Amino acid sequence: MPSDPAPLLEVRNLRVEFPARRGTLLALDDISFSIAPGEVLGVVGESGAGKSLTGAAIIGLLEPPGRIASGQILLSGRRIDNLPPAEMRKVRGREIGAIFQDPLTSLNPLYTVGRQLVETIQEHMPLTTAQAHSRAVDLLKSTGIPAAESRIDHYPHQFSGGMRQRVVIALALAADPKLVVADEPTTALDVSIQAQIISLLKALCREHGTAVMLVTHDMGVIAETADRVAVMYAGRIVEIGPVADVIHQPRHPYTVGLMGSIPSIGDEREKLAQIDGSMPRLNAIPTGCAFNPRCERAMWVCRERRPDLIDAGTSRAACWLHDATVMGDRRSAPDSPTAPIGGDQITPALRQGH
Amino acid sequence: MNTIERLAEQELPRAPRPAGPQAPQTGGAQATTERPLVEVDGIAKTFDVSPPWLNRVLERKPRLLLHAVDGVSFTIARGETLALVGESGCGKSTVARMLVGLYRPTRGSVRIDGHDLAELSGPSGQALRRRIQMIFQDPYASLNPRWKVAEIIAEPIRVHGLLTDGDAIMQRVGELLRHVGLAPADALRFPHQFSGGQRQRISIARALASQPEFLVCDEPTSALDVSVQAQVLNLMRDLQKQDGLTYLFISHNLAVVHHVADRVGVMYLGRIVELAPKRTLFETPQHPYTRMLLDAIPDIARTGRSRTPVAGEVPNPLNPPPGCTFHPRCPHANERCRREQPLPRVTPGGGQAACHAVEEGRI
Repeated sequence: MPSDPAPLLEVRNLRVEFPARRGTLLALDDISFSIAPGEVLGVVGESGAGKSLTGAAIIGLLEPPGRIASGQILLSGRRIDNLPPAEMRKVRGREIGAIFQDPLTSLNPLYTVGRQLVETIQEHMPLTTAQAHSRAVDLLKSTGIPAAESRIDHYPHQFSGGMRQRVVIALALAADPKLVVADEPTTALDVSIQAQIISLLKALCREHGTAVMLVTHDMGVIAETADRVAVMYAGRIVEIGPVADVIHQPRHPYTVGLMGSIPSIGDEREKLAQIDGSMPRLNAIPTGCAFNPRCERAMWVCRERRPDLIDAGTSRAACWLHDATVMGDRRSAPDSPTAPIGGDQITPALRQGH
Repeated sequence: MNTIERLAEQELPRAPRPAGPQAPQTGGAQATTERPLVEVDGIAKTFDVSPPWLNRVLERKPRLLLHAVDGVSFTIARGETLALVGESGCGKSTVARMLVGLYRPTRGSVRIDGHDLAELSGPSGQALRRRIQMIFQDPYASLNPRWKVAEIIAEPIRVHGLLTDGDAIMQRVGELLRHVGLAPADALRFPHQFSGGQRQRISIARALASQPEFLVCDEPTSALDVSVQAQVLNLMRDLQKQDGLTYLFISHNLAVVHHVADRVGVMYLGRIVELAPKRTLFETPQHPYTRMLLDAIPDIARTGRSRTPVAGEVPNPLNPPPGCTFHPRCPHANERCRREQPLPRVTPGGGQAACHAVEEGRI
């Protein structure tokens, strides 16, 4: 499924920056990936890794003063990163749907859900109000809302959290988009409701052939839903590949640590794997590989040169450990400074966030 | 400033623990001979959420009572971790708050080491309170932003009069910070200068300052990222081993509970529906709600799995269904479940479950 001839969404060398008091902060640094039609791409990472920002950049909702500094975003081969706002409004909703974390804030509390659905449908489709209304009822039915005909006249506060998220999904799918960007769609929900929403999203997208970019911090949700997964760290993709491979044979040391730190049922480990320290702030991203101060396998090259995504067997990883020339050098020249960096050079991990 | 910097340089001896029975090191020790440290007997908490008096009179609205917790009983042995899991609104945080004395139970009793928490007032109450501490969910809201870390951690020491000399207190603060993986020099910073995981370490240091035996942890890692969560969970486990602490661990995350707990209680609408040793609960869950929860959690070990989600949502606790409160969502419900509230019964694996279907052997 990956790298089909014509990807639906293609992101090329995307850089997003925020002007700050001194210089600019680079929030997304050279992000490239693609999503095939009908594919579910999971994007995981810890808070501040830039995963939500990637989603916001794609749907053209970067909050100023954040801006795309360079790179391209192509939807079905057409550039959408430089569209004027009015054009982008048409793309958003018609071609890209969005689902956000908090269903209460993504619905207008003053309008009935029916009015919001009809408005969205008519914005993007040449339908009469009566046709749009019946489509709205169908959409609510397809998201599993009982008694959709009467509930369509209710206000958002009259729905429970899970039901509200179903309305948001109906709204995202209202104009039959080709891509849905879902940013933490289940984080605000209880586990039993979370399961319902995930299966619903999966079923609907399979039915309509909609591709999904699923942004979440919950690896379990990704594991069950995604075809491929991109792992982000400090504004960069550190690893991307088929979901089973990334979870079971992670190739980047950060992914290895991340997977090891997730408690799982049936796992009898006494202690969880622990990556000491925390992700660097945007104004203090280390040179070279951003992960090197926390990495047990860091070499000299990691502190000096930034690794790009390269083939690492099953997936692609941005790590020098998979670079044949670097690792080859190390073998041929034993005195070259590629020995693991000593702890004295590294700020003790815990102190790093200061 | 100088004191702290000096402290940062030197190794400090650990303060002696207060006299008292040494806790056993083993987790999950069943208190067959020894009396459990925590005994909770049928506690309930009812909140009055009625409209104001005038509205009740003019609009003839009835009194509204929310039964947040409705008869919960359990014991926790010394050195053991009991976890309570459940979805939002099931009453798990209310139980936590009653156990530390932040809420007074409407009925039932909480006994810590044989002393009733209801007698918390007075000097004996203060002595008991020193032995119970709480760690809250939100490390951003639970630390006073205008206090330095030193003041935050020193407060329990001062309140309980454990140390009086200023230098000794600062020395103890430095030691506590070191104990949770921070540096003594951090005492001079303000909470906003720390990341979420570090703040939660400060909360833990504050909780440990009064040398407690029993820690109530209300979702201590829910606000943290997974890699930071692993750091905090590992720290809590190490502290439990070193200091023989007893934990009540509240969480909605079953995978985290599986990692930390010795025994697990599952709550639904203010009641414990199943309580069992960890292994029994996860391998042979009895109550249909437990089975449903276990089936619902996304797990990284199960890629591409398709699930059968359970229909329905948690009912409004203001108007819970009659009989077994789970019956509208339960696939095994029958007439008896709709009518009669099930009582906890002992199950094969050493646990208990409150379910007619389990009791009758229907499932």
